[in-house]
Amino acid sequence: MDVIEEQQWEPKILAFCCNWCAYSGADLAGLNRMKYPENIRILRVPCSARVNPQFILRAFQKGADGVLVAGCHPGDCHYATGNYYTRRRFQVMKRLLEYSGIDPRRFQAKWVSGAEADKFRATVTKLCEDVKAIGPSRKLGGSK
Amino acid sequence: MSDTTVKMRDIAKDLLDKGTVHYIIGWEKGRFSNQSPPAFITSAAHADRLIWDEYCLASTAKYLLDDKFPAGKIGIFARGCDARAINRLIQDGQINRENIYIVGICCSGMKDPATGNTADKCQHCTHPNPIVYDILIGDPVPETDKPERFKAIEELEKLSPDEKHAYWSKQFEKCIRCYACRNVCPACNCRECFVDQYRVGWQGKQNNLAENQLFGLTRAYHIADRCIECGECARACPMDLPLMELNRKLIKDINQLFGPYEASLDTETTPPLAKYHLKDLEEFM
Repeated sequence: MDVIEEQQWEPKILAFCCNWCAYSGADLAGLNRMKYPENIRILRVPCSARVNPQFILRAFQKGADGVLVAGCHPGDCHYATGNYYTRRRFQVMKRLLEYSGIDPRRFQAKWVSGAEADKFRATVTKLCEDVKAIGPSRKLGGSK
Repeated sequence: MSDTTVKMRDIAKDLLDKGTVHYIIGWEKGRFSNQSPPAFITSAAHADRLIWDEYCLASTAKYLLDDKFPAGKIGIFARGCDARAINRLIQDGQINRENIYIVGICCSGMKDPATGNTADKCQHCTHPNPIVYDILIGDPVPETDKPERFKAIEELEKLSPDEKHAYWSKQFEKCIRCYACRNVCPACNCRECFVDQYRVGWQGKQNNLAENQLFGLTRAYHIADRCIECGECARACPMDLPLMELNRKLIKDINQLFGPYEASLDTETTPPLAKYHLKDLEEFM
């Protein structure tokens, strides 16, 4: 039974995409019929700074195998400065996650502009490959 | 009776007699010889209850939150850690400096009541002398930066993800979610803490590893750039979770990423996570 489950295992990846850049980038990737892994679940947020670090913990707790936070390039934020805060916040958060035993490859943050459909595809593909290589997440506090 | 005790009592009597303060927060002798819990002295006649010995471990500053709109000034005895805690509360907009009268005490460290050795929180103390006060008792004791306080964190960082996970699981399994760490923390001064927001559903109330870990990590992150390293959380924890290992990890990273910063040395400097710099390190390109 376990063997079958393992063969069928596909990672669940949650992506927080900012409405103005990353989400448009994902949209453009779709319009261009780009192929990227269907493991990704996109959650649209008004700004990458809307992503409370607690969301990441909650996602891992609820069983996400990988989490992506994507926003506008520095300087391009729709709200002028949001992503500068994101940058500080998640550089610290990333290290805390690693410190608490979550494989650093499971969490990524990336700047993806509305025109960078290919970067979105590449980021998602890479994250998915990385997570597949590490295997299912133990979840937060889970035994496996 | 120590010199400091005598001075404390004299000052308290004087302040209460003159009506400068309408009560003063200090320490008194507890039921046991190795405990000196906080005391609230409301009249000069009771000033002799005050004491200063090696077991005055509890921080006095957090009590200021219980009386945010005092009828008169509140007197408070403050060591280095308490003084930084007071700054923390002022900077977070919780109390007014005008409402408090600070009697600073230069502190040379307390003892752990269980072992009789120097308490953990005092071992790693970088600011034993109060940084804000109205009058000062005693002579300033030498201060050092104590970079060795990050040693335990560096050791933990070397472990593999699996080992780290095992270590923190073992720790958080012990947590009974009494929230003593939050209650005692001067940086945890939100009017409503995220763990008390039952309708938002931020966090489950169950006591299990997953929820405990979410609580512990979130709390550490909430105070990341505002932690004053008083070590009260770890001291108050009845299950002996090494909470300072989380706080110091964040402090260490923030210092490395955004430049050296010590929280609450003044009330003006914005904490690092509440500001940004265009030239910040870029890892997400």
